[in-house]
Amino acid sequence: MWLYEKKLQYPAKVGRANLQMAKFLITQYGGADGELAASMRYLTQRYTMPVPQGKGTLTDIGTEELAHLEIIATLVYKLMDGASVDEIKRAGLGAYYADHDKALYFVNGEGVPWTAAYIQSKGDPVTDLHEDMAAEEKARSTYEWLINLSDDPDLNDTLRFLREREIVHFQRFGETLQIVQNYLDCKKVY
Amino acid sequence: MDREQLALLKEVMALDFKALELQLYLDTHPNDQRALRDHNLACQEAKAAKENYQRCYGPFMPCEATGFPWQWISDPWPWEICYE
Amino acid sequence: MYEVSQNLRLARAYVPFQIYNQSWEPLEGLMRGTIFPELYFPYRKREY
Repeated sequence: MWLYEKKLQYPAKVGRANLQMAKFLITQYGGADGELAASMRYLTQRYTMPVPQGKGTLTDIGTEELAHLEIIATLVYKLMDGASVDEIKRAGLGAYYADHDKALYFVNGEGVPWTAAYIQSKGDPVTDLHEDMAAEEKARSTYEWLINLSDDPDLNDTLRFLREREIVHFQRFGETLQIVQNYLDCKKVY
Repeated sequence: MDREQLALLKEVMALDFKALELQLYLDTHPNDQRALRDHNLACQEAKAAKENYQRCYGPFMPCEATGFPWQWISDPWPWEICYE
Repeated sequence: MYEVSQNLRLARAYVPFQIYNQSWEPLEGLMRGTIFPELYFPYRKREY
């Protein structure tokens, strides 16, 4: 089961409100390579992991991704804070505002809503772990492109933190993959 | 949030972060005794720092919200805090 | 221990196992995004 701890994992700051960055950043909230997709992918794959290391890693990283989801939400919230309707329109967020005001919603940068089609849970643990490693790389790249888009050093501190977490997660999934492969190799020896 | 509270909060975040890093490491290295020792130490330190923070500033978890009136819901919530 | 010195097979991906050695102090680790120096690969913004 899950508990919620009333603090962010990282002290997420923004230097100033920036609606354009909010629009770009929302992809890590409700997009294909974002934190919701990551979390749901790992938390749903964990049920069919054959070894304890796999169940542990997927549970723990899946849970950490929810904490990252909260950080993205915090950044978007802060980037939109105090914005007028005029500023929102000029930033190209008029359509989003009409549906959501300044609320957080699970869409990507183009307004495409989140879908389970972003994730797979193939049942084959080797397959699933490869998808997880790819997901971490996709997220890492997205953070790099977001850092390129941003000129706010405070915002970039948080983006760099989240990017480094993806690298660490990749390492853990890589280790889990080898553990699973060794386990399955041993099972084949009668 | 005043500077002292923010510094304490960052300390709690940092200690929890160390514990989490070691937790993820142990998930794939369950027999690493040194990592386990460091993980247990990190958890102890995080626990102490949290108890200290909560005593002064309010609960991180609902079961820590023992005072009257119900403190769990009090502002600010994490996304509202200015982490300057 | 799952050593990379075992026979590597074709059509398989391998990521070497991390061996825990040193770690940064908690606050420094938090700011960098990892407590492990060997896993720290910072991003250098590209000049286009």
